[in-house]
Amino acid sequence: MTGHGLRGGTTAVLAGLGTCVPPKVVTNDDLSLVLDTSDEWIVRRTGIRRRHVIEPGSSTSVLAAEAGRRALKSAQCDEADAVVLATSTPDMPCPATAPEVADALGLAGVPAFDVGAVCAGFVYALATGAGLISTGIAERVLVIGADTFSTILDPTDRTTRAIFGDGAGAVLLRQGEPGEPGALGPFDLGSDGSLSQLITVPAGGSRQRASGVPAAERDHYFTMQGKPVFKQAVTRMTESSRSVLARAGWTADDVDRVVAHQANARILAALADSLGLPPHKIASNIDRVGNTVAASIPLALADADLRTGEKVLLTAFGGGLSWGSTVLHWPDVVPQ
Amino acid sequence: MDSQTAGIVELLVERFGVEADEVQDDSRMRDLDLDSLALVEFGLAVEQQFQVKVSEDEIGPDNTVQDVVRLIDAKLAGDPR
Repeated sequence: MTGHGLRGGTTAVLAGLGTCVPPKVVTNDDLSLVLDTSDEWIVRRTGIRRRHVIEPGSSTSVLAAEAGRRALKSAQCDEADAVVLATSTPDMPCPATAPEVADALGLAGVPAFDVGAVCAGFVYALATGAGLISTGIAERVLVIGADTFSTILDPTDRTTRAIFGDGAGAVLLRQGEPGEPGALGPFDLGSDGSLSQLITVPAGGSRQRASGVPAAERDHYFTMQGKPVFKQAVTRMTESSRSVLARAGWTADDVDRVVAHQANARILAALADSLGLPPHKIASNIDRVGNTVAASIPLALADADLRTGEKVLLTAFGGGLSWGSTVLHWPDVVPQ
Repeated sequence: MDSQTAGIVELLVERFGVEADEVQDDSRMRDLDLDSLALVEFGLAVEQQFQVKVSEDEIGPDNTVQDVVRLIDAKLAGDPR
């Protein structure tokens, strides 16, 4: 690790925020040229109008490194002691992508590893980064969420191709004091593996390979059971939000903005309703970027026009199933 | 109209854009233009309003307003259907 001794008792503070989406934009009209869909249908079902996708030569690590570089710039800092990357579309199945990202940022030698919790990954990575700081293992941790789901979607599936987009977002966490702006509050994290089949890429892992049965081509693509996932997303994010608010001593009314995983505009509306919050308190940029999986929370944070001191609730839900939430007072940072 | 039915009609009108005069006891969800996602949203809203658990396949496109009222009544009466 970094050679720092254990100095418990410190808190992780968000000190910088950076994002990166690839330049290529795919609009709903573009999709309607190649799939049986329409702008009206996609907007009504999902609230999404366009998404960004990578082109040959790019990959998750490329987006992650650029978002990380911008987060460091936002924090006016040129190094970090650790890199935690949330992704479920690594550059390769093995090894982890984070070391290559660290190397690209000139941080070679620091601990760097991936965290896999699909759409909840960024909150899990934040908790992991906060843990590295609170245990004294690192003083500054670059936490990145990056995914390129365009690479695992069935090109003939009008539902998933309409929903997902590629992107990356990163924050720099530094050592700080409880109560200062940016200090990450309590976390609520959870999972339910009994419902793992709701969100999967069935093939390519040990279960399919050990079976000795070659996988059908479609089994290499991402699949999701929309209706149960919709309900689980709303229910789990609501419960997790309530749990973390109770631990923080906040009521729902105390929250200025909710930055939730951008899965679907209708899930965000149902979440607002379920938490008893007016829709304007729920940040949303899904119309412009779609569901960017582990990148969605940092991308939404950067677009939310948050003001210093605002009370912010982060909550996410995804495959696993897994979910997580935390809170913070928004610090004085300029997203890059 | 009993209070359960009135509550369902109010939900459909206020949250799902259904015209009040379109809703009859025997109106099917598909007739009220509730698509599959809207049925999930409707189930969540029913859960909140009536404090019951509704799984995502319990209210389908062919269920009527009266079916939903019966479902809620059964759940409130403790029938674990």
